[in-house]
Amino acid sequence: MDFIIQAIVSGTLMGSIYGLAALGLTLIFGVIKVINFAHGSCLMVGMYAAYWVVMLTGVNPYLALIVVVPLLFFFGYFLQDIVIKPVLEAQSDVREPTEVIIVTSGVWYILDNITLMIFGAEYRVVQTSITGKAFEIGEIIVSTPKLYGLIATVIVSVALVWFLKYTKMGKAIRAASLDREAASLMGINQYRVYNIAFGIGTAIMGVVGCVLIPFYYVFPTVGVIFDVKCFIIVVLGGLGSIPGALLGGVIIGLIESIGAQFMTSTWTELIVYLVFLAVLFVKPAGLFGEKRDW
Amino acid sequence: MKRGSFWRTGFVCVVALTFAFAMVLSAGTSAVAKDKVVKIGNILPLSGPSASVGIQGKYARELATEQINNAGGIKSLGGAKLENIYVDSKSDPTVGVTAAERLINTNKVHILSGCWNSAVTYPSTQVAERYRVPFIVPVSVRNTITERGFKYTFRIAAKDAWWTRDQFEFLEDMKKKSGADLKTMAFVYENGDWGVGMAEQWEKLAEKYGYDVVLNEPYPSTASDLTPVVMKIKRAKPDVILLTSNASDAILLTNTMAEMKVKAKAIIGTGGGHADPMFRKNCGANAEYMFDVVEWEADLSKPGIPELNAEFKKRHGFDLAGESVDAYASVYVIADALERAASTDAQKLREALASMHLDSGPAMIVSYDAIEFDESGQNINAGLVMVQYRMVDGNLERVSVWPESAARAGFEAVFPMPEK
Repeated sequence: MDFIIQAIVSGTLMGSIYGLAALGLTLIFGVIKVINFAHGSCLMVGMYAAYWVVMLTGVNPYLALIVVVPLLFFFGYFLQDIVIKPVLEAQSDVREPTEVIIVTSGVWYILDNITLMIFGAEYRVVQTSITGKAFEIGEIIVSTPKLYGLIATVIVSVALVWFLKYTKMGKAIRAASLDREAASLMGINQYRVYNIAFGIGTAIMGVVGCVLIPFYYVFPTVGVIFDVKCFIIVVLGGLGSIPGALLGGVIIGLIESIGAQFMTSTWTELIVYLVFLAVLFVKPAGLFGEKRDW
Repeated sequence: MKRGSFWRTGFVCVVALTFAFAMVLSAGTSAVAKDKVVKIGNILPLSGPSASVGIQGKYARELATEQINNAGGIKSLGGAKLENIYVDSKSDPTVGVTAAERLINTNKVHILSGCWNSAVTYPSTQVAERYRVPFIVPVSVRNTITERGFKYTFRIAAKDAWWTRDQFEFLEDMKKKSGADLKTMAFVYENGDWGVGMAEQWEKLAEKYGYDVVLNEPYPSTASDLTPVVMKIKRAKPDVILLTSNASDAILLTNTMAEMKVKAKAIIGTGGGHADPMFRKNCGANAEYMFDVVEWEADLSKPGIPELNAEFKKRHGFDLAGESVDAYASVYVIADALERAASTDAQKLREALASMHLDSGPAMIVSYDAIEFDESGQNINAGLVMVQYRMVDGNLERVSVWPESAARAGFEAVFPMPEK
């Protein structure tokens, strides 16, 4: 039975990191109603930022958060302000700004290829003080960097929920996500709210970047690997839902980990999609999705 | 409209004239040097995805040709010089076929060489067979290239199936020498053509050598987490782990195996990701004592390698690799055949190639002791080298350890892998 417990432990740890990565996507969607196709690229930027900070200064990857998170916040803030806002403004009378999807896809390609030009296609791994560290509880091996990933996920989620519930800006973000026109009429600058929401969404990718680099390699298209997972997680959990993203992430992590113990690991993807379809069939809005019309 | 067509006609005329002039010119030069030049037609991927290896092959051929010509050319042909003609295949089989036709009919080459991509070599050798022109294949691993009963195709490199064969022969040899008890095996491979093909061959060989296969696990090369796969390896407790991986997954797999404390008596890669310089850099000590099969390694204890490598690096800025070494040797194979045939007649050349036993000269920088072809045209001695990742002066290096005749001086395989 040991191996089942081991599978649950590693699945939960990895799943929580998937959930954290999906958190940024769900936040941006919940507020701006835009599916950010450049989400994976933002993760890639976060990973490169974390990689270079650790590489150049030699600090602990979690200390790098102090630099990486603000960096990514402003990156997202200005990405929204300069690239996405003009399109949103042009479509301000449209309920679902679908053209923005094309814009974010463009951002995805441009970011990935600029990175390819600057840093080349090589895989980069940084040796940090906790790389490859693990501890044993009985027969169960727990990877230390992944455990820190779980802790980071919990802290970020609690902080995000608190921010949205109790701060003035958080309330403005929630108001804009409910009805952007009504919010504007109440004196909320919706584009500023969008900039900040987008900034927070990408800042979370900075956290994910710092969490991932002790055990995962960085390369220009690394985002694509996590991108598809994030989309499944977000839809599975319910678009715009924070607990949905976390639970969705853990579910995917567990299916991958436990499923692989009973079948060839390439087949677990099939199970992931089957569960995904089944959930959508029973609850079309996702596990935590609200039955509201976006 | 009228005006446009006038210019177009004019342009076509100029182009046609240029071509005609060029043809007259080239016909003229070849007529003058008729008995003094042996033409080799090389079909190589000089652009497109495989361009880097194609260009390495071209450089290696140029170097060997220059050396042979400077040493007096082909003596039995009155000092005839070798002349290379290169055609870019763009890794495209149809381009390769057209190129072979053109080289034979228009350029009147005496011998063909190429094409690196198995998919291009396969149909191009067919053209050569039809025209009865000898075709030297330095590097193209697909088994079937020399399994069609062709008389004019000669392959220098090892076949696909030999990689897996050598992995098992190495294990047999190590069993004898170390007395290690190896019973169970795990196959872990990327789920593409390459990995799946290797696993099929492993299965047959494992049965033949009496191993118990406890895990047969493909995985997607783009996985975000390979912990589940590594957990399965750990549970299966194999004595031997055979791997076929691309670069990124080789790194992730090796590091995760170290983290999960997977223990095995031997972990053997199949080139590819495990031979990538990135692998060595990113896995560090986690890769120590792992084995990998390759066609050639720069540290082989063969005379001439350091000098040749230095010369090659000076000219082109990078080291020799398996591909360029086979291409380099192929020119010496051609020279040896010409020397003994004392003729450029295709039939006589074929006979000279079929009866070849080349065991000296610069071509012997290869990892084995002689080049000779069997009836199918396959170089029967073509061997592979087993390297082991070892710490040398604090750096992780690829050290050739098997066969012993090719091992780096002062090194032998550490087998079974010591527990870290």
